Amino acid sequence: MVEIKNLVKRYGNLVALDHLNLQVQEGEIFGLLGPNGSGKTTAINCMLALLAFDRGDIHIFGEEMSPDNYHVKKQIGIVLQNVAVFDELTVYENIDYFCGLYVKDKEQRKRLVEEAVAFVGLEDFQKKRPGKLSGGLLRRLNIACGIAHKPRLIIMDEPTVAVDPQSRNKILEGIQELNRQGSTIIYTSHYMEEVEQICTRIAILDHGRSIAVGTKEELKMMIKTGETITIEAVALTEEQIQMIQGLPHVFAVEYEEQILTVRCTKAKHNLIRILNYLQEQEILFGRVFSELPTLNDVFLEITGKQLRD
Amino acid sequence: MTVYKGYLKVMKKNIGLILMYLAIFTGVTVMFQVLSGNDSITNYRAESVKIAVIDDDGGSLAVELKNYLGQCHQVTVTENDRARLQEDLFYRNIEYIIRIPEHFFETCIAEGQKLEVTKVTGSYTAFYVDQQLNSFLNDARVYYTAGFTQEETAAALHGLKSIQVELLDTGGTVGEMPAYGFYFRYLPYLFLSVLCYVMGNVLAAFRRGDLPKRMSASAISARRQSLEGLLAAATMAVILWAVSILGAFAFYGKRLVECGGLPYYLLNSFMMVLTALAISYLVGMLVRGKSAANTLSGIVNVLSLGMCSLCGVFVPLEMMSKGVKTAAHFLPVYWYEVVNNLVAEFGNVTGEIRQTVLQGLGLQLAFVVALVCITLTISKWKKV
Repeated sequence: MVEIKNLVKRYGNLVALDHLNLQVQEGEIFGLLGPNGSGKTTAINCMLALLAFDRGDIHIFGEEMSPDNYHVKKQIGIVLQNVAVFDELTVYENIDYFCGLYVKDKEQRKRLVEEAVAFVGLEDFQKKRPGKLSGGLLRRLNIACGIAHKPRLIIMDEPTVAVDPQSRNKILEGIQELNRQGSTIIYTSHYMEEVEQICTRIAILDHGRSIAVGTKEELKMMIKTGETITIEAVALTEEQIQMIQGLPHVFAVEYEEQILTVRCTKAKHNLIRILNYLQEQEILFGRVFSELPTLNDVFLEITGKQLRD
Repeated sequence: MTVYKGYLKVMKKNIGLILMYLAIFTGVTVMFQVLSGNDSITNYRAESVKIAVIDDDGGSLAVELKNYLGQCHQVTVTENDRARLQEDLFYRNIEYIIRIPEHFFETCIAEGQKLEVTKVTGSYTAFYVDQQLNSFLNDARVYYTAGFTQEETAAALHGLKSIQVELLDTGGTVGEMPAYGFYFRYLPYLFLSVLCYVMGNVLAAFRRGDLPKRMSASAISARRQSLEGLLAAATMAVILWAVSILGAFAFYGKRLVECGGLPYYLLNSFMMVLTALAISYLVGMLVRGKSAANTLSGIVNVLSLGMCSLCGVFVPLEMMSKGVKTAAHFLPVYWYEVVNNLVAEFGNVTGEIRQTVLQGLGLQLAFVVALVCITLTISKWKKV
């Protein structure tokens, strides 16, 4: 459905997109994950023909994307990072206006606007101006304005920035529902939990390049980490840390501020082995956590830095 | 026409601002009308001067002279009390003193001696009476030269009428600014304030945050969006112009319709609304960001008040210094006021005046074209 080949975009000496390649299939929720400045928004702007690029090709629905390809644009909905609505219009008027940019028929538009209002749960706020809405409701309005015309492809650029957890969950559930209704979604975020929660396939971006693409399981399979064990332990000696490092399947150990972090490869009984060792050595320990690898671990292993660095 | 309707909806949210300016405009116009009054328009009459006559002669020609002057002046025959007469002259109880000497006919007519008069030096009323007095004496001398006696001369001059002034007043305004002239004089302030504020707010609303991105990504072309935006702005300008013209008819009704200059008032105000629209679009183009409202307020005040003060809206052009007027030539409101003053003064515009009026209208149109070109250049430059 969306095909990006060797996309290059430069701002002077800065390379924002460096031979970016992506393929999005129909029916996917495709996540673009990366830290701030990794090129997510630039990629989106190029896809929407809002930004001219230096090299490469973008095809959407099999057609080359260009600023005047209104046939393609008509089938795309966008939800931007910053809320883009008119403060002067009411909730209903805003959705109606943006839907009107795609749908001419008055009756059809009325029905679509009402459906969009219901979809984002703003029925009680239809006559309110955006200034009277909370941050979460405002984000929902922003989404309703982008999806009211029932687009085939929805591009969402960090739609949950600065949103409270309750509203965030509601928004994420809504995105999954849109996908169930048939829309393909491209979703950018620097929140790995969100991407992990809703995306069927994920591309990890860094410095304008796609460094890994796949389902979350495929991405996690790409790395060495199978389990990360965190233990509150008091006064470990350098020798004891070295011993833990030497245990089977352990490949990295960190000890900072009485917190021991042990990274193990995919194997059974990693936790029991480590706890047995601590008991044998009569080391006092408190709370214990065991976590399966996250997308942050994937990013960390591939780039050597945290997603939120 | 979604974008067009969107513009109109955002404009509608500024209705409070528009009404406020209309109220201020109406208030200012009515206030100036009350202050200026209407007397000057309806009460024209030939000037009547208070004249004191000391008649030492008492002959028939002296009597005829008093009758002649009395046709349009307030003539009082008085005693020769020099001190009192000087005091009356000082306090302007009288404005002109004529002393008719003994043997008036012999000395002043036959011998051609001057008649002794006392007047306020340099006053136009004295000049006016001088003219009438000389006219009478010259006529009498003509009769004398023809061989007429004093009585015959007095009889011949009996029917002599004082000069009748007939005013050719095609506009019915006796050369003064009529009340509706004041109304049209203040229109640029209304147009500039309302259009700059409203268009500034509307254009800022359409460029707020990521809205331009959303609009650019939509299925409506940028060209069509611009055209619909321009159409909405034109609609707003035409409505404002129509409301102000209806206001003029409501205030002045028949007087305005019959004044003869109505087509020029309409054309001139329409050119002004176009100019204000072009200025407002340029202002709107320059204002954006979080402090747009404050910036806009500052720009609009400087523009509307500044231009109106310099170009004769608040202060008549004839009261301005040459330097200010020269500078004002480069502002469109000046040409609006020039046309408005001419139309108000002459009512029926013909001949050379018509040419000046058309020149003023043409210059306003030139300003509109120039402003549109500047706006388009800036718009293109910003996109690059």
